[in-house]
Amino acid sequence: MPRPVHWSRRGRDAIRARLSGRGQQSEMLESLLAFGGLVLLRDSIEWEGRDFLKALIKQSALCGEQIHVLGCEISEEEFREGFDSNINSRVVYHDLFRDPLNWSKNEAFPRGPLEALRAMCRPTDLRPVTIALDSLSWLLLHFPCSTVCQTLHALCRQGDSSPVERVNVLGLLHEELHAAGPLGALSSLAQIEVTLDGTMGRTSAHILYRKPRHRPAHQTQWFSILPDFSVDLQEGSTLQSQPHSDPHTLLVDPTAHLTFNLRLSKKERETRDSLTLPFQFSSEKQQALLCSEPSQASSHIFYEPDAYDDLDPEDPDDDLDI
Amino acid sequence: MAAAATCGAGAGSPGSVAAAVDRSSATSFQRKGPRAGGADGGGPRLVSIAGTRPSVRNGQLLVSTGLPALDQLLGGGLAVGTVLLIEEDKYNIYSPLLFKYFLAEGIVSGHTLLVASAREHPAGILQELPAPLLDDSYEKEFDEDGCNHKTPDSSMKMKIAWRYQLLPKMEAGPVSSSRFGHYYDTSKKIPQELLRTAKWHGFFLPERISPPLTVEPCHLTHGYMKLLEFIKKIVSEEGVDGSHPQKKTKNILRIGIQSLGSPLWGDDACCAEACDDSHSLTKFLYVLRGLVRASLSACLVTVPAHLIQNKAITARVTSLSDTVVGLESFVGSERETNPLYKDYHGLIHIRQIPRLNNLICDESDVKDLAFKLKRKLFTIETGL
Repeated sequence: MPRPVHWSRRGRDAIRARLSGRGQQSEMLESLLAFGGLVLLRDSIEWEGRDFLKALIKQSALCGEQIHVLGCEISEEEFREGFDSNINSRVVYHDLFRDPLNWSKNEAFPRGPLEALRAMCRPTDLRPVTIALDSLSWLLLHFPCSTVCQTLHALCRQGDSSPVERVNVLGLLHEELHAAGPLGALSSLAQIEVTLDGTMGRTSAHILYRKPRHRPAHQTQWFSILPDFSVDLQEGSTLQSQPHSDPHTLLVDPTAHLTFNLRLSKKERETRDSLTLPFQFSSEKQQALLCSEPSQASSHIFYEPDAYDDLDPEDPDDDLDI
Repeated sequence: MAAAATCGAGAGSPGSVAAAVDRSSATSFQRKGPRAGGADGGGPRLVSIAGTRPSVRNGQLLVSTGLPALDQLLGGGLAVGTVLLIEEDKYNIYSPLLFKYFLAEGIVSGHTLLVASAREHPAGILQELPAPLLDDSYEKEFDEDGCNHKTPDSSMKMKIAWRYQLLPKMEAGPVSSSRFGHYYDTSKKIPQELLRTAKWHGFFLPERISPPLTVEPCHLTHGYMKLLEFIKKIVSEEGVDGSHPQKKTKNILRIGIQSLGSPLWGDDACCAEACDDSHSLTKFLYVLRGLVRASLSACLVTVPAHLIQNKAITARVTSLSDTVVGLESFVGSERETNPLYKDYHGLIHIRQIPRLNNLICDESDVKDLAFKLKRKLFTIETGL
């Protein structure tokens, strides 16, 4: 698990839950909610994410938080289905589904949903707040991407300055509806990115933790969601922050089978150290150069004149008869 | 005096003739030096500003980027009046580090800072700056760092055959603080008293623009317009554009802009391939370069180039900046497991080096450069 920057109350709850042996079920969800910021939930047609979002909402409600939901794609009744009254009382639903273009001129969204979002997390009470956006795709289709990004950033930052803990923003994003541009832009804003995938009837969540100034960490978790929106984890999760090299590549030792010597024995090393290099200017060499006129000749040269040798340098042609 | 010299020319010894010539003002060569009075307008004087030095190649005034390794690759440093663009790495781990080195170097050299960001508050960025390594209290730690990698076998000194033995040893580690280019310890924060002496101006976009954010029909995005106005205001306030000629001490203004082009600035370059304001970023860079050229300032801009969808914009952004450096980290890519790269944290690409008053630029021949971030050192090494 990545090392958190600071422990919020949620984080301490997560540790407590783990220590009390409540089991792995809530651990994954709590780890997603512990750090605050934007949690981006990417789903697709085959692997729908709304149930996972509702499981996260249920987890937040159980921790005693107030949850604001901006509902754009399904009706309020459908959304609240499956939640018991305890959780439903903590969920505040802002309905954009029934009247998206505001034709009935009601006062729910006087200046647009983005303004309403910003108003949502102004601290009116000291309880921590979770905001669930169902869905971010709807917002991206109706508003420019940069405006949505700026609003999300303002929401996440709100938690830094206010006395409450960090605000959690859970955003559901339908991957297939968007090009790489908005996806990349939202990924770079998100603290945690969960991509839903799966094979043969089993769903997996690929979680990427992106804390600023830390290396990103990956985790893949197989799970299924029960009818009461609690999560049942299956198999083991694999946490990789340092991927291992392929175990099938054999490590070849390049120092084997060489034609030259790579290591020196002690004696060889001593001989090498005591060797004077040819251009090294040492005091002995200096002496030798200074006393280069030997009083006693140390070497002799013996020479036999050849037939063609010129013994008389003044008479090169040898025709002067002197 | 001159008459006596000429009369005595024939009879006198050469020494006295030479002395006489020296004393007279017969020569028209004058020695140019700093006048004792320090009078104004007394002819061209060397501008010596703290933390700068002239380039050995073309005399351009250079400031350090905060990373001596990068300074070397850019030909000595960043030229005053130019824009250095850094293309961020994918998970934005190392480019904020370069940004902080630049700002920390400004504080240590005593320059004025202008920090602009849409993501974090500038005061928060300044609190996170790394502490400088000053003087020899860290020299032994630097040596320790280097020795950690050495095995006992290789601990013997290399014997150099001949004349290099007589040359003085080159210093590779941190030296005193008056030098150009310092080393920083990323595990420690900058000391508060150093931060208090620093002069800085911050621009945090969410504070300057009040919501609701309307879509502006003008050419430049609203956020960019505000930032340019702010920079112009600070440049003229600080007098770095020469608007206060009576100011004796000149100083450099270091401008740092973080994540330009990201959606947090209101720019759609990262979101869509063809957007209405597709020229916003390029116009901003053009005006920024004009502002920076006309003043004693150096600018560092980081751009999330991997997010920009339209490659034509990336190409235009590169040509509109002076120096462009790209960072590519190995985190999360398949190169992380490649044994060739196991000692390094990423690759650094020098994409462009400016030709300032020159016909050729200082491009190095080595194209594959890799960086690694050690505990106290950010090294760039060549040739894998």
